[in-house]
This record gives sequence, C-alpha cells and structure tokens, in this order.
Amino acid sequence: MDRQEAIEFLLDHYQNPRNNGPLDPVDVTMPGGNPGCGDIVTIYLKVNDAGDQIERVTFEGTGCTISQAAASILTEMVEGRPLAEIDDMDFNDMIDQLGREVVSTRPRCATLALGTLKAAITLYRNNKIRAELDASQTGV
Amino acid sequence: MAEYAHPEVLVDTAWVAEHLNDPNVRIIESNEDILLYDQGHIPGAIKIDWVADLNDQVVRDYLDREHFEQLLSAKGISNDTTVVFYGDKNNWWATYALWVFKLYGHKDARIMNGGRAKWIAEGQDLTKQVPSDAASSYKAPERDDSTIRAFRDEVREHIKKSGVALVDVRSPQEFSGERTHMAEYPQEGTLRGGHIPTAASIPWAKAVKEDSTFKSPEDLKELYSSQGVTPDKDVIAYCRIGERSSHTWFVLTYLLGYPQVRNYDGSWTEWGNSVGLPIEKSYQG
Repeated sequence: MDRQEAIEFLLDHYQNPRNNGPLDPVDVTMPGGNPGCGDIVTIYLKVNDAGDQIERVTFEGTGCTISQAAASILTEMVEGRPLAEIDDMDFNDMIDQLGREVVSTRPRCATLALGTLKAAITLYRNNKIRAELDASQTGV
Repeated sequence: MAEYAHPEVLVDTAWVAEHLNDPNVRIIESNEDILLYDQGHIPGAIKIDWVADLNDQVVRDYLDREHFEQLLSAKGISNDTTVVFYGDKNNWWATYALWVFKLYGHKDARIMNGGRAKWIAEGQDLTKQVPSDAASSYKAPERDDSTIRAFRDEVREHIKKSGVALVDVRSPQEFSGERTHMAEYPQEGTLRGGHIPTAASIPWAKAVKEDSTFKSPEDLKELYSSQGVTPDKDVIAYCRIGERSSHTWFVLTYLLGYPQVRNYDGSWTEWGNSVGLPIEKSYQG
C-alpha cells in the first residue's frame, strides 16, 4: 500500500466507519483516549461463551482522522479472533496495518483503539476471575 | 472599540482569499489531525506537521537551525516571506507552529483568524492539489530560546517570585489533578496529576468564540487580568506539551501586547513526571 492508498484507506474508514455504535449485550465497555488533545475511543466488547474469542467488537468516539479510522479498521481485523492473538498484537503491527508512512508521526492516535481493546480484554478476564471467586466462596 | 495590540499579526479569511496568488505570501496549514490537509486545504497552502517537521526526532526539543533552514527552503519560504498559519482546533497547532518560527526570529508570521473551521464554514474553496513551489534559500539565526521559551528550572525559580504570573491553560479536570490521562492509554499521561503551585487556571479555549475567532480585546483583557495575569508581570504559560499554551502565548503577546510572555513547552508531561517538583492538587478522589 503506497502513501496515497494508505491515506485513502484511512479516509474511507473515517468517513464510513465500520462497527460504529454501542453493543448490547456487551461484556465490557472500555473508554480510552486523551481528553487533553481530544481523541476519545470507547470499545464495546462481547466475548464468546468459551471466553477465549472475540464474538463482537464495536466502537464509538471523537477525534482525529487517524484515531477514529484506526478504531474502525481494528474492529474489522479482530472480530472472531482469539483473545490471545490480541494479547500478542504489537502496537507496531497496528501502525503497519494502517500505513506506517502516513501514521508514524501519530503513534498515539494510531494505537489508541488497540490499547483500549487490550484494556477491555484485561478487564473482561479480571471480571471473570472475580465472578469465579465469588461463586466458589458462595459455594463454601 | 479597542484594537488588538498587534492587529497586523491577525488576518481574516477575506485577506487570505485576496492573497492566494501573492508571491510574497505563503499560507501554511498546521493541524493536530494530520490527514485534514489531504482531505482538502486552502488553495496554494502547504502543510507543516508539527511532529514530523518541527520536532527533533531523537531529543525532546525543536529542530535545530540547519534543519529549520532546510525545512523552510524546501517549502519555498524566504526570509522576507509573509507566512500565514491556520489549522484545526481553533488554530491551536497553527499558533504552535508560529511560536516555533518565532524561536528562529522569522519576521512576518501571522494567523488566519478562525482557522480551518471558519474557511470551511464560509464555503470557501478547498483543494487537494499540493503546490510544488521552487525551493528557496532560507538563512536562519541560531535559535533563541531566551525570550519566548521557558524551561523547567526557570519555572521552578519563577514560582518563588512575587510580581509574576503563571497560567495553566489545561482543562479544569487536568488542573485539579482529577485527570492525567484516560485509563490504559499506551505511552500517555503523567505519574502525578495537579498543577504547578501559584498557577491560575485559564483554559486556552476561553480565548476564542464559537466560530473559532479570537474574542475581543476587552473580553481577553477581562479573562486574564481578572485572574491576576496582567501586562506588568513576567508571564509563563503551560499545558501538557506546550501546544495549547502556545495559543495563550499568542493571545497575550500579540492580541493583548504583554511584553514578557514565555511558553513552558516541557509543561505537565515534564513537571508531572519529575521527581521532587512541587505540585498542588485540589482533586480528592
């Protein structure tokens, strides 16, 4: 993907965001962003019954072209993928997916959605552990 | 009605429209959102990206003299070119770029009042065509950080003095310490929240109206002087990395004519992460 193709790819996702809007039912709603600079992304995560795969992910947000386009692109990339795969996703992978030449000067914007998704997965796992602990203590 | 102290530094959209083909003028778009220029810009405008073009890529600092000369020469800007900055977010990044140009003493640098938003709201022409002007031969002096730039240790001494002013231009939640960053944001935020002691909280966007143009001289004077930020004082402004505070620096210096205003670009990302620096925090959470 050359520079112009990368720009058009990002602009398409910015102007026509995929998976945009809240999710119901949802396992985790995770806000992310830098309010000082204005980029906000909220990730809505639904995990499969086995607890190991993304069943559905959507987003809402405001902010710069790159941060919002990256969120749209990410939601398409990760649907149906194992959580472990998201754990292994490096922020540099995200920058490459978006077009390094275009987004390299805005790594925070480019990785905001991925960072927020990783945080959502962490919270999902923590909630699950707490629920299991509560259940085991109740059973005692 | 009172005038701005330096009205020549502010041009309106009509002036820009009349000077699109003026060979002595270079219109420069400087945005926070770097893909806005590609979506459409003022005809003939060039882009300057404050991260890629104005920052040193290794050390946290601005580009050195050699690179500044190369940048401006490549953009076809000469020493006597009138550069007019505009951009998104109420010209927030446009004033940042202008401030860097002034570190190198570029003589004639101006802001298009209302920025990108006003140009678009007026239905003025936009183009995706990128101009290809001939390179120039720009000669810059050594960067002068003494007059309009403040550093951490200077701020540390500044807050011990009387008869000075410190302006925190961030949001009230950042000032109080309630917010430093959003949860789990990678490579973001500071270890401590709050503000530098003695700072007055005057969010930068209070200097502009809804159409992104600057407020009147009377309103601006009231905004700052009501909080003790007066022209007789040595004033330093800060935010997180110095970009929002460059907007306030511009207002105080050029619109209100304050003679001594510096931008502390290390700002909260430096102060809030530094060991042992004093912090005031009003948020109890």
